[in-house]
Amino acid sequence: MIHPALFYTVSALTVASALGVILARRPIYAVLSLVLVLFGLSTLFVALHAFFVAAIQIVVYAGAVLVLFLFVVMLLDMEPEALLRARNKTMMGVGILFGLFFLGQLAAVAKALPAATGKPLPGTTAAIGKLLFTTYALPFEAASLLLLVGIIGAIVLAKKKL
Amino acid sequence: MTPSLLTGLLPEIWLGLLFTLLLVLDLAWKEERSTALGMVAAAGLLPVFPVLAWQAGMGSHELLGGMYRLDLLALFFKGIFTAAAILVLLMTRELDKTIPRGHGEFYLLILAATFGMFLAASSAHFVMLFVALELISITFYVLTTYLQNNVNSLEAGMKYLVLGSLASGILLYGIAFIYGATGSMQLSRIQALYSAGAPLPVPLLFGLFLVIAGLLFKAAAVPFHFWVPDVYQGAPTPVTAFLSVGSKSAGFLVMFRVIQELFIGQAAQWAPLLAWLAALTILYGNLGAIPQRNIKRLMGYSSIGHAGYLLIGIAVASRLGSTAVNFYLASYLFTNLAVFLVIAAFSKVTGSDEIKAYAGLSKRSPFLAAAMFIALLSLAGVPPMAGFFGKFLLLMGAVSEGYIALALVGAAAVVVSLYYYLQIVYTMYADKPEDLSPIRVSLPVRLALWVCLAAMLGLGIWQGPLLHLSLAAISGS
Repeated sequence: MIHPALFYTVSALTVASALGVILARRPIYAVLSLVLVLFGLSTLFVALHAFFVAAIQIVVYAGAVLVLFLFVVMLLDMEPEALLRARNKTMMGVGILFGLFFLGQLAAVAKALPAATGKPLPGTTAAIGKLLFTTYALPFEAASLLLLVGIIGAIVLAKKKL
Repeated sequence: MTPSLLTGLLPEIWLGLLFTLLLVLDLAWKEERSTALGMVAAAGLLPVFPVLAWQAGMGSHELLGGMYRLDLLALFFKGIFTAAAILVLLMTRELDKTIPRGHGEFYLLILAATFGMFLAASSAHFVMLFVALELISITFYVLTTYLQNNVNSLEAGMKYLVLGSLASGILLYGIAFIYGATGSMQLSRIQALYSAGAPLPVPLLFGLFLVIAGLLFKAAAVPFHFWVPDVYQGAPTPVTAFLSVGSKSAGFLVMFRVIQELFIGQAAQWAPLLAWLAALTILYGNLGAIPQRNIKRLMGYSSIGHAGYLLIGIAVASRLGSTAVNFYLASYLFTNLAVFLVIAAFSKVTGSDEIKAYAGLSKRSPFLAAAMFIALLSLAGVPPMAGFFGKFLLLMGAVSEGYIALALVGAAAVVVSLYYYLQIVYTMYADKPEDLSPIRVSLPVRLALWVCLAAMLGLGIWQGPLLHLSLAAISGS
């Protein structure tokens, strides 16, 4: 069972970094905040005994995907003026309004959520592997096709000559 | 007969093999033979129909530990998807020249999207559903952006990607709440929990509404319609056509599965919202179509309008409504594809999608003009075309469940839609053409158009068989 103090600290940190992702003026800070979000999530996964997912969060997302993000941001080299122009006051107002409404709904949901019962299942590689090749075999195979489509799509869209 | 893994998943296995064959052939053959590749794909899809008919005798089953569902509704929609894919492949062959590069991959991606639709039709588990929907979406993002040198296509693809990812995120968020509230992601287990008609708890309802939001995006309904006009206009015509019949049908099928089938006993909690959205969608789509000058953009607004009519069928939560949705989607498939076939054949010769350019089409190609005329009448819902009967069933469903105002909105919108559809007809038949050169129509397109026309008139006059099929698909599940 996760200790409440740990849970609230990590959650607060994760939410704060998530806010950083959308509020940061410079894309580079946004990406770095996203790394922090992933570390926070990974900690929560560890607390839930989902060790494999926690490791994947760090290795694949924080390690590989976000490094790519950083490369893209650095290569694009966005002008600060262009970034400022992209901010629209009315859209922000509407967004905040919807966000508050959504938070209100979420609070009502949180009150009504049933308490978790039972112990967390072991999130080891063996357990996940077994699930992937038994219950979730079909979605797993479909996901492989999805990746293939992603690869084909990336090549088709990015290459000048096929 | 109880299906084994092999016989149960035969359509998917066949499609997977076809996909692999195309992938290999694309590498082995030269670029000049890519048209033949499209023909291989279309011919390869034909055997799916007898397989589906054979599977219809097996009854309802859950396979793979409740991940895959074999029932009549799934088979019915797989039939729709296959027919749509074949017609779209024929259309793509026609437009081969306008797609500058990567023809083989184009056919490959159309098959991949069809595969995703098949899985979506048969998924009995939220994880399977999500992967299937993502397979459809991601394929369409790539297909929409296919014209690399066309700014409209790039803009459309970008918008579709950003908004589509947002919708996928919302859908996933909703699934997480449903899982949190019920402890299961398997549809039949969730259904068993709430079959007694007890009111849904708040977290489950919250998750359900988020899932509905994600699906409304797929179905192109208000308030998740912003992408539709731009994407419909910018995407290559075959992609627009496939998007309007395949992706939309998948959206409504899934909506039926996760809303109506699971929570029919709690209809009072979600139906009013959908009824309101249906009315708004009908009004927005039909009024927005009036000032359009580009025919693909106009079809985008018209597609929003049709999504509104289909939402009526979901909102009324009755057998009549669901049967009507099935019938409507089947007739909409042929009607809409007929319009897009004409658009494709026309733009191949003239290179234009502007409605103004259609002036005097009746003199340049009487066949194309007549096909367009009949298809537009069917879209508007004029008897004796198939579109009329679909609309009639939906509005009847609304009236019989007491949604009188909704039925009136739907009936009024038919008049509005007649106005903008007939504007096109007027341009085609009454306006003087600038260029009198005849438009040649190739044999595959001619054939495909004849099939669509026969289906439109046939289903409109002799509705019995399809109606029975639509009803059986609902009852069998």
